[in-house]
Amino acid sequence: MPVFKLCLKIFKKNIPVMMIYFGLFIAVSIMMITMSTPTDQTGFSVSKARVAFFSEENTPLVEGLKTSLAENADFIDIEDDQEILQDSLYYRKINYVLRIPQNFTADFMTGADPKVIKTSIPGSTSNVYVDLKIESYLNTARMYLDLIPGISQEKIKSQVLSDMAEETEVEMLRRDSSGSETGLMQYFFNYLAYTFMFIIIMGVSVIMLVFNDPIIKQRNSCSPFSTTKINLQIFLSILLFTFFSWIVLAGLSLTFAIDEIPNFNTKYYVLNSLIFALTSSALSYLIASLVKGREAMIAIANVVTLGSSFISGVFIPQDLLSEGVLKIASFLPTYWFVRGNRMISMLMEKSGPVFDEMVSSMLIQLGFAFGFFILTMIVSKKKRSV
Amino acid sequence: MIVEVKNLVKRYGDLVAVDDLDLEVMEGEIFGLLGPNGSGKTTAINCILSLLKFDNGEIKVFGKPMSPEAYDIKKDIGIVMQEVAVFNELTVYENIDYFCGLYITDKSERKKLVEEAIAFVGLGDFKKFYPKKLSGGLLRRLNIACGISHKPKLIILDEPTVAVDPQSRNKILEGIVELNKNGATVIYTSHYMEEVEQICSRIMILDNGKVIATGTKEELKEMISLGEKITLQVFEMEDTHMNFFKTMENAVSVDYDGKFLVMKFQKGNSNLEQVLDYVKSHKINFGKIHTEMPTLNDVFLEITGKELRD
Repeated sequence: MPVFKLCLKIFKKNIPVMMIYFGLFIAVSIMMITMSTPTDQTGFSVSKARVAFFSEENTPLVEGLKTSLAENADFIDIEDDQEILQDSLYYRKINYVLRIPQNFTADFMTGADPKVIKTSIPGSTSNVYVDLKIESYLNTARMYLDLIPGISQEKIKSQVLSDMAEETEVEMLRRDSSGSETGLMQYFFNYLAYTFMFIIIMGVSVIMLVFNDPIIKQRNSCSPFSTTKINLQIFLSILLFTFFSWIVLAGLSLTFAIDEIPNFNTKYYVLNSLIFALTSSALSYLIASLVKGREAMIAIANVVTLGSSFISGVFIPQDLLSEGVLKIASFLPTYWFVRGNRMISMLMEKSGPVFDEMVSSMLIQLGFAFGFFILTMIVSKKKRSV
Repeated sequence: MIVEVKNLVKRYGDLVAVDDLDLEVMEGEIFGLLGPNGSGKTTAINCILSLLKFDNGEIKVFGKPMSPEAYDIKKDIGIVMQEVAVFNELTVYENIDYFCGLYITDKSERKKLVEEAIAFVGLGDFKKFYPKKLSGGLLRRLNIACGISHKPKLIILDEPTVAVDPQSRNKILEGIVELNKNGATVIYTSHYMEEVEQICSRIMILDNGKVIATGTKEELKEMISLGEKITLQVFEMEDTHMNFFKTMENAVSVDYDGKFLVMKFQKGNSNLEQVLDYVKSHKINFGKIHTEMPTLNDVFLEITGKELRD
């Protein structure tokens, strides 16, 4: 197998260049791990706002409001002085100043819509809870007032507080029973598209550039080694290189998301990446048969890999890309690889629409591979007939 | 017969690169294809090797029709192309091993052949060198080693000495003669008439895709009317002396450039004695004198009206 051995030697010679990209992949992956925020929270606790509460009247309705607010507010004793309050807000000693004006209760009970007076720090999340609580208390009180004519303030207070004490049990469910909790596996397999495609294009083109050299081609044609045999051995070496690169990169992706390996959908990520590897090989074969020269090849490899990765959702989630961009991207195998990964991340069982969509994403990638292969054959035949 | 070509025609659009070429190469000979650049030598070779489709004609090698799929024929052909066809990614040894491996599958036999080829071209000290580290001459030698390592019956060398220093050129030419002595039939193309004259047993001269003459070098020289050429270094030449030389029997042309008197004669007897007698008797002061028989360039000049290297 002289051609096969020669190809392996050429691959070996180009290992340093490939290592740069393997290194890049590892570096970005490590960066991702260290930068990614763990998203394994299954609940949350409400933070309390520091509220300065002033009331110019003391009625059961206002007392009820203060009681209901206690859940979301720490009441701070502070002098009711404009300057002191401003300073306290500025230095974040308090977040919220709530003032109940005189005749608030009387006006409320007669059906008017009196306003509480508030001063707060803009953009504070905890203040939003205070606002919601005030609104909720007063809206519920108004409902009782409207529905039960002559209802007393005491009654309103007790009913509203009792209603507001009702809690609904909320359970944080995982998106699926077996899939990723952190999304790291999906991220690494998506990112694999960029590194993988580049390495494959570069590796395959290095071989093809050597064998497509007209002098070498002529020299090989003079030998008793048939063109079919030569092509077959080149193809075998490319397959071996693809397989080796796939093992390394998929292995790295799995290593980086090691906690997620036992998940049900891991095998589908691996399968999807293997199919993408074959498609990338076929694409590389086509590019190599069209492009002459190493410099042009590097440029094309960059344009193809970066371009397709950007518009197909490798770096930016597909959800954030416009419909138009995704439509264009759907003419690229990378789009279907990323889509396949997305389906795999949502996969819960070996059937159903998500599973079907995942399978069709894989089949479309295989279709691309077949198409690229046929195109390469056509290009080669055309070149031979010239 | 090793190679037989009949009525070969190869056109590139309107340009006829090879025009009705007939060629026969006998076993054991070194057959030279001589012609200026663009005369159709390489095109003819590429047609013989089935690297090019041709428009008309018939080609047989080892008595069998040649085709791109004639692998049983190709296994006995060694080719040294005009341009160096080696892999920059492989060392000298690996390159020869690769090309030998296209013909010889047995590993131990191949190893022996590769070593022999390396020794033959004198690249023993450069086995581990990559082609980029080799000089032009060494690179040409590597190219030859890659072409002949499998010990083919027919070796085709297409201008193997282009851009090679004289020392390497002599080494290459000696090697080709040795290969021939070892039993290989050789087709050698060149536009250097001295090389072809030096090593080829039979020569075909091509010009503009057409065969203008074929034969041994003696036969080719017989084809022309030109015979001896005498060159005399003289520093002064009077008209009376010039007239004498011009009127000598068999004189074809006499030219004096102020330093050398060049006299060309028709084929026949030697004229040197008569020239020397005249020079001595008239006390003409002269430096060097030498005589030579017509070269292939003279043959080419007389047939085509132009120099071989024009």
